[in-house]
Amino acid sequence: MIGFDPDPCAKCEELLQPYLDRELSDAERAEAERHLDGCSYCRKRYRFEEQLRRFVRQAAVEEMSPDLKSKLAALRTPLV
Amino acid sequence: MSEATPEAEPRKLAEEARDRVRFEEEALELADQVYRVARRLVSTREEAEDLMQETYARAFRSWRSYQPGTNLRAWLLRILTNLNIDRGRRIQRSPDQQPLEEGDYFLYNKLEEAGDSDEERVDRRLSQDDAVAALSEVPHDFRDVIVLVDIGDFSYADAAQILDIPIGTVMSRLHRGRRILKKELAERTVGSSV
Repeated sequence: MIGFDPDPCAKCEELLQPYLDRELSDAERAEAERHLDGCSYCRKRYRFEEQLRRFVRQAAVEEMSPDLKSKLAALRTPLV
Repeated sequence: MSEATPEAEPRKLAEEARDRVRFEEEALELADQVYRVARRLVSTREEAEDLMQETYARAFRSWRSYQPGTNLRAWLLRILTNLNIDRGRRIQRSPDQQPLEEGDYFLYNKLEEAGDSDEERVDRRLSQDDAVAALSEVPHDFRDVIVLVDIGDFSYADAAQILDIPIGTVMSRLHRGRRILKKELAERTVGSSV
């Protein structure tokens, strides 16, 4: 059981990261969701964090060059 | 007493060759995913490419130490992160333990103060270049866990195993690293008043 008093939004802010990482216990998750259901202040910030993570992830992805792929394949052990 | 038949040795060699080929194929299939993580663990594309080649050369040499059925991507990344440290590319420093005043709502609050409160349109307010630059400013110890969890999709437990640190350290670095990342993003989007 986690206490959301005396500052429920501060507690909800603390749980933001493990909540989105799906690393909270069932009880903690349910408690956070109860608060989010009734608090648009926190709900907007959770939604923003979710979008932000997706955005950073997409921005950070850089694909491997075909040249590197060939170099890695060339490292394979030759078949005798 | 066991009797080795004349055919036993060639058969054994053939089986081992087959296992090795299978291992190398599976490792190469994962190269795109491994590279995405590698690219953000180091500063430049050239460094990431060198690191990938060293990683795969070592993995192919040490393939016998991989246990089939376990997480091959995590195994490859463990080699990669160790090489990254061994080569001295990282300036090792103790994690910054200064208290951070910025909480997890910090960036949203800054954007809201600046008059932009649409939580759905992150892409309108942040540029991809800002995101990459902000990530590169996060100190290595914190960035490693962000990259493994947020880009590599690893669980806390996998990240702990790859980096050989306790899971509690993964959690605390992730927590702090993401806050640093948001502070960096805020500086780039809202300005130096942050």
